[in-house]
Amino acid sequence: MTGMNPPGGSLARRTLLKAGAGGLGLAALADLAACSKDGGGSSKSLKMLYFGEQAQATQLQNRLQPQISKLDASIKFEISAINGTDWNDFLAKVLTQIAAGTPPDIISVATEGLQLMASKELAVPLDDYVTKDLDALKEYFADIHPALVESMMYQGHLWELPDSFNAGNMFYSTGLFQRAGVVPPSADWTLDDFETAATKIAKFKGINAFGWVVRLWGSWTSFMYANNANLLEEGKYDGGDWLWNKAYAGDAAAAGRKGGWKWGAPTANSDATVEALNYMIELTKKGLSPSPDVGGGGTLQGLFASNRIGMSIGGGFWAGGLTNAGMKNGSFDVTMFPKWKSQRHLFGAGGYAIFKSSKKKDLAWEVLKLLVKPETFDLVFPGNVTTPGRKSLVTAARYAKTGPKHWSVFYDTLTKHPDTAPIPAPPYYNALATALNQRTTQAISSGNAKAALDGLQSDLEKAAGAS
Amino acid sequence: MAAVTAEVREAVVKRRGHPSSHGQARFGFAMIGLSVLFVAVFTAIPIVASLGLSFFSWDVISTPEYVGLENYQRLFTDGPVLKSFGVTLGMALAIVVLQLTIGLGLAVLVNQRKLVWVRTLFRTAFYLPLLASTAAVSIFMGYLFDYKFGVVNYYLNLPGISNVPWLTSGFGAAATIVLIAVWQQIGFTFVLFVASLMSVPTDVLEAAQIDGAGGFRTLFRIKIPLISPTILFAAVVALINAMQLFDQPYIMTKGGPGSATTTVTIQMYQKGFQNLQFGYGSAIAIVLLAAILVITGLQFLAARKLVFYQ
Repeated sequence: MTGMNPPGGSLARRTLLKAGAGGLGLAALADLAACSKDGGGSSKSLKMLYFGEQAQATQLQNRLQPQISKLDASIKFEISAINGTDWNDFLAKVLTQIAAGTPPDIISVATEGLQLMASKELAVPLDDYVTKDLDALKEYFADIHPALVESMMYQGHLWELPDSFNAGNMFYSTGLFQRAGVVPPSADWTLDDFETAATKIAKFKGINAFGWVVRLWGSWTSFMYANNANLLEEGKYDGGDWLWNKAYAGDAAAAGRKGGWKWGAPTANSDATVEALNYMIELTKKGLSPSPDVGGGGTLQGLFASNRIGMSIGGGFWAGGLTNAGMKNGSFDVTMFPKWKSQRHLFGAGGYAIFKSSKKKDLAWEVLKLLVKPETFDLVFPGNVTTPGRKSLVTAARYAKTGPKHWSVFYDTLTKHPDTAPIPAPPYYNALATALNQRTTQAISSGNAKAALDGLQSDLEKAAGAS
Repeated sequence: MAAVTAEVREAVVKRRGHPSSHGQARFGFAMIGLSVLFVAVFTAIPIVASLGLSFFSWDVISTPEYVGLENYQRLFTDGPVLKSFGVTLGMALAIVVLQLTIGLGLAVLVNQRKLVWVRTLFRTAFYLPLLASTAAVSIFMGYLFDYKFGVVNYYLNLPGISNVPWLTSGFGAAATIVLIAVWQQIGFTFVLFVASLMSVPTDVLEAAQIDGAGGFRTLFRIKIPLISPTILFAAVVALINAMQLFDQPYIMTKGGPGSATTTVTIQMYQKGFQNLQFGYGSAIAIVLLAAILVITGLQFLAARKLVFYQ
């Protein structure tokens, strides 16, 4: 709070103090820049950064410690949680830690941060480690869909071992559907079916048919993908044969896979992209959807759980989220995202990378292999808070307590819709996320998708040029 | 004059010679030293370092690269950043005007209460929001003012008023954030004004009353001129705070819709910490500092004519 100095007192100091406060963080980082080259945990610890709550991280750390001790009895495993509303918050804080001279040995990063991390060479490619241990990892790769692995590649190298993913499916309230007399949607339903269902549900006072949040994953961007559009030109880096030919030999799903997604020139104001955002504006105008919040979707899950929203975009993590928010098994279900020009879905994957500055890379690699073992998954993600990347873990038994009934939709998104692709997260993801949030709220508020997306196009061109 | 100087010198020599005065001096220097250290570490050095950093291009990871005035040139041609200065100034002026007028109005009303406990009750009530965490208040207000599910619109709906886009229209979001900032900060100006009004000499007020001055005339001709130094102080502090508005817009609207509530500090955070342009972020911080210094200077210039010192 403000001090109560007498009038005319220490104003110059106060002025400097106040205005300089903003510069404090930046300046402190400058002082510490020299430290950023070194790092990793201390000689007796192996440090991992994790997106979530510290209590959860500590619990995980304690559960994994006995297994890490088997690898090296002298090592203490330390997991530091970083909290944030979304991945751009997480990444900003990770970079601040790096600047402060305390980079981790291992980092858990989703698609959002992969290319940023790889392009800045913060992590090491895992190619040599994977090649060396390929025999031991064959079981792992046989269980992981190649789309997830490809999403963890950049410029021909593999940067992370994926263990989880979430595709943008459609969750719906079975109670509200029943009340509105809407038949539960089939997997091949269309956008017209979606709107018909939404119109019936919206007739109830205080209920919104469809809720969404403003962000890159599972926002209006899901409609954009189904409209065969994207924010950036899609391409793939050459390379990756070293992995595909050995780990996925003979796997049809691996055909055409290359060295990672190459996000090219911005296409944010293409006709199809504008059409997708316009569709969302129309939903809002028709009263089928409320103005969206910006953020991670926690509020949305709360509203859905209290039966205030009929449908929303969610991935496997919604099963755990809705259960934690108090929804009973059977009160919600999931289906594919509705078909527009196509039924292309988007997804984001999560995995683990080794930091370049780590002085214990070999040990970190052993821990990475431990982290992607089937028995570790539920230690890391208890209660269905994400979708397992291993197909063998996506079972009826897993969803028996939480639901949804049609849990198989999660993995079917990858196997039955081979055009499903990761979210467009280029090395300048943070700038993209900021611009996307601002331009989306501008479009919803003004009702002018074209103007907002022209602005987004300009923002992305600048961000791409600066990166 | 020479005699006085000699007396002073003698007194100083006497005091220097006294053992307890040495201890007092050391204690005094220690206290001053702490303040100097605090200001140096948390204010002066960061400002100088920030100024230095503003001449570099630095992404935290790579080695900083000297770019001269490039960051400043970019800033003055960067539409969104320039707009954020306009947004900040507009919101800051609104906050200051409302904070001062409402704070003064409430202080005058409370000051007229004769019962001490009533005055204490109101002082506590108006001061309480200032003690709450701004982040917590912002999250809470975000729920209250939600367009579709917010409690505020729920109660407006009861008499038939349709939903107000508190946070989803450009003007609505800016106005709501201003009101919330004013609500939270008003306790500070209110307490200042109450204390200042209580210090207005009663003989002056009695003289005004004898001369036939009514309540309004006494307020505008006697009380306000007499407390004008406090008003100046409150205005300066409030404006400096308001120019750094961050928590409320960042938490409630993320600077939106569009860039309607994107303040300079949000731009600085986004450029520096999210887009990894720490040099550019520093340049924005330095220009904000300069802007605050200029505005504060203008306030003091205006004060020469408007502030009455007894």
